[in-house]
Amino acid sequence: MTALLRTEGVRKAYGGVHALDSCTVEVEEGSVAGLIGPNGSGKTTLFNVITGYAKADEGHVYLGDRPITNVAPDRVFALGIGRTFQLTRIFASLTVLENMLVASPNGRAAARRRAMEQLEFVGIAGHHAALAGTLSYGQRKLLELAYVLVADPAVILLDEPAGGVNLSLVNTIADRIRELNASGKTFLIVEHNMEFVMGLCDRVTVLDSGAVVAAGPPAIIRTDRRVLNAYLGEDLAEDDPHPGQQSVEQP
Amino acid sequence: MARQIYQAIVDGILVGGVYALMAVGLTLIFGVLDIINIAQGVLVILGAYLSYELSVRIHLDLFLGLLVTVTAMFVIGVVIQWAFIRRLRGRERTSMTLLVTYAVALIIEGVLYEIYGPNPKQLNASYVQSSVHVLGFYLSYIYLYGFVLALALVVAIYALLYRTRFGRSVRATMQDETAARLIGIDVNRVAAVTFGVGVAVTAAGGMMFGATNAFNPNSGYDLISRLLAIIILGGLGSIGGALVASVFMLTLESLVTIWSPEWAIVVFYAALVVVLVIRPAGFFGRQPVRAQ
Repeated sequence: MTALLRTEGVRKAYGGVHALDSCTVEVEEGSVAGLIGPNGSGKTTLFNVITGYAKADEGHVYLGDRPITNVAPDRVFALGIGRTFQLTRIFASLTVLENMLVASPNGRAAARRRAMEQLEFVGIAGHHAALAGTLSYGQRKLLELAYVLVADPAVILLDEPAGGVNLSLVNTIADRIRELNASGKTFLIVEHNMEFVMGLCDRVTVLDSGAVVAAGPPAIIRTDRRVLNAYLGEDLAEDDPHPGQQSVEQP
Repeated sequence: MARQIYQAIVDGILVGGVYALMAVGLTLIFGVLDIINIAQGVLVILGAYLSYELSVRIHLDLFLGLLVTVTAMFVIGVVIQWAFIRRLRGRERTSMTLLVTYAVALIIEGVLYEIYGPNPKQLNASYVQSSVHVLGFYLSYIYLYGFVLALALVVAIYALLYRTRFGRSVRATMQDETAARLIGIDVNRVAAVTFGVGVAVTAAGGMMFGATNAFNPNSGYDLISRLLAIIILGGLGSIGGALVASVFMLTLESLVTIWSPEWAIVVFYAALVVVLVIRPAGFFGRQPVRAQ
């Protein structure tokens, strides 16, 4: 497997605060990668740097072999990286279908057909004529996923896809991600819901204070004491009788 | 007296059409780019001078000349956005654009003054001075054509915004520029084209203004305060609101003129205040009018 998305030594500071510090993350082609860490650890900043919304002070971002460091956001999207947001950023006064068509690179008929296919895939095709602002929060999450899919990106960055939605919808979103992954899509997911991450991801990277503190398969990550201390909390620590006994890749 | 009132209403509606032609570009630019283009009044006058040149030098009909002047003004709008506005970013952007567009207005006014001097000009054509008698009312052809042109332009802008891919990109950018960028919309292009369209529409307003009023390079300053009042009353960013507010304000002014021409201009702005007290977002605004 080769890395389809790679950040190398990315640094990003806001004033005197180091949001990212020599951050190196790899996402293998066809995988579902997780990115976890406490609030303020730099996860969303890393998404912003990858998608060109924030400029890296140092370091590099690659899509395959292509350097995309500090490339404009619309260009990054055109090159094949789509993203969703922690708080959904749909276009509320456009209809659901119009939201889809805005993101579509195709001509009119093809765009409409693909848009409807994606809406059916996420289960909200029945709302295509409704204003997006009338959707429930969970439906907005699904719409955001659908309109990222409509451009057929190679890599999809999901920022807390399970955040603030009910359990049934969390399972729906997880199922859709699995199906898309089975068809070859690559994912990088930021999520606080550990069951969601551990059940879905092939590999998890842990950030703390802008730096990678561990990276590896979920089963190993969840037993690492530094990770437990930094992020996972007592509940998961107590679930495991032998925390920290397996080896974790060092960043 | 009743007849005078009816004629004043008809006149107000038709003159309102002329003002709508000048105001829709201003409200479009505000709605998409969140800036008040102070240069819009002077750009109207520039449009009038372009029509004057085509009419006097190559005897091109005023309405046919719009094919040239609208295109030219579109290019001028794109250049202004690219050269002066595109670089303004951050929290002070909206207030900075007030200063920048005011500077643009001064530059254009200076150039026009150098070329044409202070003496007023007026556009002329056979239909400018003639009128038709319908149901007891005298309707000026130029105002009738102008009103139809205003309706056509409002419909065209709506079609552009709601029936095209570009229009969807514009509306998405209006709502969330960041999200628009991240789903592949080139917001710089959207901004440049929108500014260009807003200025291009002004060419039609300029031709109509020049055909119905004498103008010189300074005339833009009288216009901009009226245009701002109209787009605020219509609801900032609302194209249809600009049309309705133009017709409302000019009809009111026309009615008051029957009794007191001196008070007509006062009533124009008093109506703005009264409506905003009752309806702070204007006729069709979705949010309270922002302090600029």
